[in-house]
Amino acid sequence: MQSRKVISKPQKESLVSPVIAAILSAIIPGLGQILARVVNRGLIILASFVTSLGLLIWRIATEGSRYTGWRTVVSKAYKLNPFLYAITALMVITYIYGIVDAYLTARPGAKKSKAIGMIFLIILVFFMQGWEIGQIDMGALFRDADEAVPALSKVVWPWEKAISYPEEYRTTIIDVQTPCTDVPFPAGEIKTDEPYLIADPTCGVPSVVEVSQGTEFHVVGGNFVPGKPVEFWWKDSANREFHHRVDGDYLIVTPDKDGSFEVSVIMPYRTLTAAAEEGVKVWQIQARQLISVGKAEFSEELKLAVEKMIETIFIGMMATFFGIILAIPVSFIAARNLMSHSPVTMAIYYLVRTILNIIRSIEPLIWAIIAVIVVGLGPFAGILALTLHSLAALAKLYSEAIESIDSGQIEAIQATGANWFQVVSHAVIPQIIPPFVSFTIYRWDINIRMSTVIGFVGGGGIGYLLAQWIRILDYRSAGIAVWFIAITVAILDFVSADIRERFV
Amino acid sequence: MLQIKNLTKVYPDGTVALKNVSFEVPDGEFLIVIGLSGSGKSTLLRCINRLINPTEGEIIWNGIDLSKLEGEDLRKARRKIGMIFQNFNLVKRSSVFSNVMSGRLGYSRTIPSMFGQFSKDDIEMGRKVVERLGITSQMHKRADELSGGQQQRVGIARALMQEPELILADEPVASLDPVLAHSILKTLETLNQEDGLTVICSLHYLDLVQRYGTSVVGLREGEVVYRGSREDVRKMTDEQFKEIYGAEAERVGASIEGSVKG
Repeated sequence: MQSRKVISKPQKESLVSPVIAAILSAIIPGLGQILARVVNRGLIILASFVTSLGLLIWRIATEGSRYTGWRTVVSKAYKLNPFLYAITALMVITYIYGIVDAYLTARPGAKKSKAIGMIFLIILVFFMQGWEIGQIDMGALFRDADEAVPALSKVVWPWEKAISYPEEYRTTIIDVQTPCTDVPFPAGEIKTDEPYLIADPTCGVPSVVEVSQGTEFHVVGGNFVPGKPVEFWWKDSANREFHHRVDGDYLIVTPDKDGSFEVSVIMPYRTLTAAAEEGVKVWQIQARQLISVGKAEFSEELKLAVEKMIETIFIGMMATFFGIILAIPVSFIAARNLMSHSPVTMAIYYLVRTILNIIRSIEPLIWAIIAVIVVGLGPFAGILALTLHSLAALAKLYSEAIESIDSGQIEAIQATGANWFQVVSHAVIPQIIPPFVSFTIYRWDINIRMSTVIGFVGGGGIGYLLAQWIRILDYRSAGIAVWFIAITVAILDFVSADIRERFV
Repeated sequence: MLQIKNLTKVYPDGTVALKNVSFEVPDGEFLIVIGLSGSGKSTLLRCINRLINPTEGEIIWNGIDLSKLEGEDLRKARRKIGMIFQNFNLVKRSSVFSNVMSGRLGYSRTIPSMFGQFSKDDIEMGRKVVERLGITSQMHKRADELSGGQQQRVGIARALMQEPELILADEPVASLDPVLAHSILKTLETLNQEDGLTVICSLHYLDLVQRYGTSVVGLREGEVVYRGSREDVRKMTDEQFKEIYGAEAERVGASIEGSVKG
């Protein structure tokens, strides 16, 4: 404890009395503290107060933007968003706390109190404002969770879509006669080894629009593939095929576990030529079912995902190659210890550093958008974007490795009478190779990760597919892409960590 | 014979590291440079092999003024001057043997040596030097895996590969404990006595100075404040020592020396 007393600075006396300090802090928060010679605390209070007040006014104006007259705006804003009450209350507490703090700090001989309470309150105010501005709504996480489950479960386990069976439509038919005659039209028969249809009655008349409903046929089917949907079609007397509709929708029936179904269809209206209409004609009711034929095979989506994943890995790899090749020369002119001889080289150093910082501070996704404008959609745009970003990041890391070279080792090799090339090969390169390798592998890792998303903005690779599949709500295929990305990134993570450990 | 004449070094920031330093070192001497940190010891040693360029003065060695040499001539002169460092300055990630072989760079052709290729005779010589310093079993380890004392032996081996006539040792034992300090200094003493190498070594402790030095130069703020022969050094009192070092000087090594001898 004693040592602490020795270190602590003597307390500076306040310039104003406690009451004045309190009053000043009431007029401008923080002013009392500033004049009580705790300037930093006062400035923080002032800045925080101004900022949070500004934010509050902005939020009130936004909430009440549909109203006129500031009184209405304010009252409506608070009514619409009661959270603003909490923020305002907390700000008032902070304001009063600031006044009390100014009074206490300005007392003569007062111990320098800790500002923790004040800082806690200020942080709390900003936290609440952040909550409000960020429209944080924890309820949303659970409210519609049910609806997300089917989509999410498809993403989590998409492999049904990885395998496909070649499919084709099998059409089963039953003829019906129109109109009915004295001779009964034969009904279908029950078959044992193939699908069949039976219609009852076996003849009827088509509908006439706004006049009469056509005959209702009761159709029984058997020996269909259980669980696979069956569509119904007609073939009219003019041999034209068309979907059967009920209130505008296609009629689709799913057979039961025995492969049987029963359904009623009303003979529809058709405009027919005189030749097709006159006399006794035969129509056909068709039941079409999409069934699997042949062996299982990998689905188109899976093949596409594999192809695009390979493309993705190569986008990352090429970008890393180009990045290394460009970054090595640049890193030498971005290394302070190599460029500090003269004002000219220092100017180059600062210029290069600034450009690198600017390139690096723009995300690869944004570079990809720019690259797409220049070279069009596709992997090349992705490679360009990642190359640019890698160049900037690697040049910075490389140059820092060069800057941290131990000059003692260079000195020692120089002292043996070695020439410049020998000094570089024996003292400089051995020192920079390990960090170069390490940074490069790290970058390769990042580039593969980035190349998976660069497709979202048209930069090629699996991201392009993923974005498309998400847009058409094909969650299973999207799930396959996500799985591939996750597996690839995990493997690379492991490999790169392993290689880096060996070198460093 | 090495003659330092009116050597002055002023750094670009205006620090005067050496002021008009003059002294002579006859061949075969074990000269010890003493002085506080910042008194100019390191600068002095580095001026001799021109890792630092002196501002003024001459460094005459075997009739040649080292301070005027440039390029190839300078490198040829450097080959004959081995240097040992306080922090060993080994290339940490390279093997012990490749560190030792780097002492041969000044004699080797540029292109093969850049890829670590040395002549058979050089490699044979490397083996012998490594054996002489008792680090054969460590030969293939990475340099930074060795203990401090062993690393300094590698440093000495590297210097010996230069077939030097002069060895500059910049506080070679400052990073080592007293037992190892004696061991390293005895190695240098052997080289001095058996191989007839001139040694210029900077040191801190009076005990070590008295035990190993055949003559002493004392530096204070870049100026020579003491010059003594072996006999003078033996008789040197703590008071004289303190004159060079200031009041904070201490004898540290005495008890250890006893233990080594015992």
